[in-house]
Amino acid sequence: MKQYSGISPKGDLLLIRKLCEKLEGKSFLHVNSTREGGGVAEILHRMIPLLKDMGIDARWEVIEGDAEFFDFTKKTHNALQGNPEKFTKKMWDYYYEVNKRNSKKLDLSADAVLIHDPQPAPLIDFRQKSKKNTWMWRCHIDVSRPIQSVWTNLRKYVQQYDTAIFSVSKFAKSMPKVDEFIVTPSIDPLSDKNRELTLEEINEVSERFGIPRDKPILLQVSRFDRFKDPIGVINAYKIVKKYNDCRLILAGSPATDDPEGEAILNEVKEYAGTDDDIHILMMPPDHHKEVNALQRMSDVILQKSIKEGFGLTVSEAMWKEKPVIGGAVGGIPLQIVHGFTGFVVYSAEGAAFRIRQYLNNPEMASRMGRQGKEYVRNNFLLTRQIRDNLSLWYLSSFRGKNVIEL
Amino acid sequence: MEKGIEPFEFKQCISIVKSTGKSAKNLGELRTLISKAGDEPIFHHTHQYFLKGHILEYANDFAEWAGVNLEERALAERLSCIDPYIMKSVSAVRKELIREIDSFLNDFPEPRDVVTGNEFYLNETVSLVFPVGVSAKNLAEFLVAVEHIDEGSIYYHFFDSRVRLGEGVVDDFSRWIEHGLGKKELANRIRAIDPFMHSIERIREHIMEVIEEHVRAEMEGVTD
Repeated sequence: MKQYSGISPKGDLLLIRKLCEKLEGKSFLHVNSTREGGGVAEILHRMIPLLKDMGIDARWEVIEGDAEFFDFTKKTHNALQGNPEKFTKKMWDYYYEVNKRNSKKLDLSADAVLIHDPQPAPLIDFRQKSKKNTWMWRCHIDVSRPIQSVWTNLRKYVQQYDTAIFSVSKFAKSMPKVDEFIVTPSIDPLSDKNRELTLEEINEVSERFGIPRDKPILLQVSRFDRFKDPIGVINAYKIVKKYNDCRLILAGSPATDDPEGEAILNEVKEYAGTDDDIHILMMPPDHHKEVNALQRMSDVILQKSIKEGFGLTVSEAMWKEKPVIGGAVGGIPLQIVHGFTGFVVYSAEGAAFRIRQYLNNPEMASRMGRQGKEYVRNNFLLTRQIRDNLSLWYLSSFRGKNVIEL
Repeated sequence: MEKGIEPFEFKQCISIVKSTGKSAKNLGELRTLISKAGDEPIFHHTHQYFLKGHILEYANDFAEWAGVNLEERALAERLSCIDPYIMKSVSAVRKELIREIDSFLNDFPEPRDVVTGNEFYLNETVSLVFPVGVSAKNLAEFLVAVEHIDEGSIYYHFFDSRVRLGEGVVDDFSRWIEHGLGKKELANRIRAIDPFMHSIERIREHIMEVIEEHVRAEMEGVTD
């Protein structure tokens, strides 16, 4: 935890230390459905050793399932985000059955159990009733407008938890017996994606990808997915280009779980045409240092989504003191305080206008970049999320109280 | 330690947002929410606005929502002028919010709904208060501490105290300076800093300026 000293707010580190003293020797179990890939696994890889270092008996278990199980949970994931899918009772029974099997293999007897996302949610049914411990369900996805029947089925399990944790207020569910908290996700300032890079490291990436540094660079890092509006970004670039010469980088990995992914990538390539100043970069999902370098060599960073979960790429860019522009969806407006840490936009034309403002007012761009970094420091670093997880565990012994003195 | 002076113990509070599960999609529903809510959500959406660093256009979450999502700027301005720190209680803030909303509804009785997803979500917070391990026995130590503590600590002592102590207008810093150090004039100068008009960082700067000036004057022998 010492590595975060001088980076994270002092109060966050101090509270983590105090909470770890209070909870020393107690066990904290995290359960999710994948060891590799995705933001949850990334954070757990980092968080578990940190908690162990601080005297908490932290463990991380992963539930096992076959293709049928994960096909089903992928469908529920989509439906919880509002996309209609077909379900049968047999599918829901199988989902429960797989969790039941896992419950027999896993040691669920920790003092605090934090279950991540819907895949392992039914494990709550196998909670040892005799043991006084805390069960928390952490929802990392946008469940603000789910397909209702799917939420109704999942709710049977979620409402048995002591605490539910959502990323944004509008995702919360108003379940009578569950304390529902809002905890935003976070970025790790020490990971390859966010750590400081040397000039040589940045130059090496720009050479490797063939990106000359002769004019301002606009960047969007995201999957090639309609919801990230890559065509809108190209349109914005084209408008800007009339007045300000610049380059555009669209960097991302293909959306392998999206049947439309390939088609969208081709559409984007075709739309970009033969413009040498548009760079479309396909990168494997583990190219964290490369993404970091691309962000650091850019002048303006966009996340012009039209639908978004939280959109942590915005915080990643802000942490690098870059002026940002984001669509007014999901968690983006929580990160971009309009006119202070960046601009929120509603159209390609709006994005173009803000890009031009940044490029023509470098002083304003750098001021907003600096403010953005401080905003991320105070709100979106990993240590704040660790602080909140520990706080919620500790607070579970004081249900009904609003102020607790440590 | 200076004899008889109780040192100032710096504390900090960290708040975690808790959902009440209630929301409003138009002004009428917001009025109902406010009138039925307990003190905690009202406190969170008005007093604790200052924890956000005072960087938004309006001065509380209700005003922010009225201006940005309802696009009723006149109402937003009126709600924004409600200063929670000069009121005696959270109930008084609630009454004032309702009075402004009623007055607006009287002129414009059919408020429109916001776009789906932009509803007002009523929250409250659970706060953890803890000592930061820093104390001051005299003004010089106090000055160094104020320079280095987190914003959350300034918030706790300068804003939160006004409600916590139930005295309406007094912050922890000036109380200690007056009663601990016996420097009433300096305490009054700290109390003259407008909590409503500054970010926490600016409050920090102002407090330091006032104290530095006082210490300088003391060294030159021109103050009590």
